[in-house]
Amino acid sequence: MALKMETRNQMPKRIVEDKVLRFSAGERLSHWVHAISFFVLLFTGLGVLSTSFQPAMAIFGGIQVAQLIHRIAAVFFVVVVGLMFFVGNPRYHWRWLKFVFSFKKSDWQHVCAFPKEFFGGHGNYPEQEKYNGGEKINSLITIFGTVFITLSGVVMWFASSFPPALVRWAYPVHDLSMFIMTAAAIGHIYLGLLHPDSRAAMSGMINGYVSTKFARAHHREWYERLKKEQSMNEQKNV
Amino acid sequence: MARKTVLIDTSLCTGCKACSVACKAWNELPAEKTQLLTSYQTQNAFTTKTWTYMTFVEKYEDQKMNWLMRKAQCFHCADPSCMKACSSNAITKTESGYVVIDQEKCIGCGYCVENCPFGVPKVDQVKKKSYKCTGCIDRVENNLLPACVNTCQPGALSFGERDVVLTQAKKRLAEVQKTHPKAQLYGEKEMGGTTYLYLLLDSPEVYDLPVNPTVPLSLTLWKDVIRPVGTVAVGGAAAAVVLGVFANLFRGNYSNSDHKEGGKD
Repeated sequence: MALKMETRNQMPKRIVEDKVLRFSAGERLSHWVHAISFFVLLFTGLGVLSTSFQPAMAIFGGIQVAQLIHRIAAVFFVVVVGLMFFVGNPRYHWRWLKFVFSFKKSDWQHVCAFPKEFFGGHGNYPEQEKYNGGEKINSLITIFGTVFITLSGVVMWFASSFPPALVRWAYPVHDLSMFIMTAAAIGHIYLGLLHPDSRAAMSGMINGYVSTKFARAHHREWYERLKKEQSMNEQKNV
Repeated sequence: MARKTVLIDTSLCTGCKACSVACKAWNELPAEKTQLLTSYQTQNAFTTKTWTYMTFVEKYEDQKMNWLMRKAQCFHCADPSCMKACSSNAITKTESGYVVIDQEKCIGCGYCVENCPFGVPKVDQVKKKSYKCTGCIDRVENNLLPACVNTCQPGALSFGERDVVLTQAKKRLAEVQKTHPKAQLYGEKEMGGTTYLYLLLDSPEVYDLPVNPTVPLSLTLWKDVIRPVGTVAVGGAAAAVVLGVFANLFRGNYSNSDHKEGGKD
């Protein structure tokens, strides 16, 4: 399936002058729909997490409205991103899955160097492909977190249609997924906005392109592969 | 107020259902349309407007029918799952042993409904509030008997201090066991000891009661492990980010031109 989806569309030119196309329009749409709906879901869900957040639910017009918004946002959270794997130009979505589920030794080495990098130091790790080890872990947390929070959410939403024992387990699963995804999102936002080295990746999620300098420094294996592929294509076309 | 207990001596119950009528009268709960389900039973679940009802089991043994009747209502557990599950601190336990829902605080999330081992609380989907037997705490605290106890003609319901009622129940059990060898007390230790204590004529499963009711493992894991650990994890991530910003400031990484373009080679 993944392979079929990958080969459906032709590759556009990836390296343009001093920029490299990292994320397609579809990928960026998925990312931002997922990100925005995640935070809407998080904030509207706080009212049932702790009573200390309940007064804040007045922002949404009360806790009952917050619960309604929670369910509407949940539909976007799941359906839009899910659809992007099948409509438009889904090749990149399937490639992303293929990338993050092949966790190699070089990814592990990046993860080991990650704490040092996180606090502004420099660790040693081999050249990385399109996604480094840390990005793969963030992706895996997002994928599994989304699956578990969605399944448990469906059980909670339609509680009367499921056996009580299953509904009882849905609550801890929903909470656990939320905590892990929130912790990951906090780190993810820091790396995208505040970390001096990695925040250069942000443009990739805005207009799709990262600088070749960034690509060379952080994802050399990926950059070299694209360069090779591109020159081969050009030779073919001549 | 010391721990109270209501003994439901099913050996004395005649199944007249006056208790459920008295409950509706005192608590101003409207009648609901019912129909005959089995034996003399007309209801098989609690509703937001029915906080107590009668169950009837016809059990045949040696060509003889045992007519087992039980008044069902909230047990008012000493260790209530509903209270632990409540998202809004709306459920509390009184010193006298009553588990009460504050409808002002209730948001109708239904976590109590799903976690009660006896299926007691019910959520009004329009009002978004959870309802169940209050144990007539308003009467009890004013030295009146609970409405159901007050109305019971055959004396199947009795109310008093827990230790007094428990002694009385054990004495009565010894008596009943002469004719019903499987008779037992239910609620002496179950769920930490329930305020509504039963003298059953047969084993709990015959009455469709859980043999060993417990606080669900999922609930303990959720509230006592995942919640605190998750909060620490999210707090830890936030702290790491703050530390990361300061570490980068301290190292001068924000002003270093090498970092501006994300390059470091």
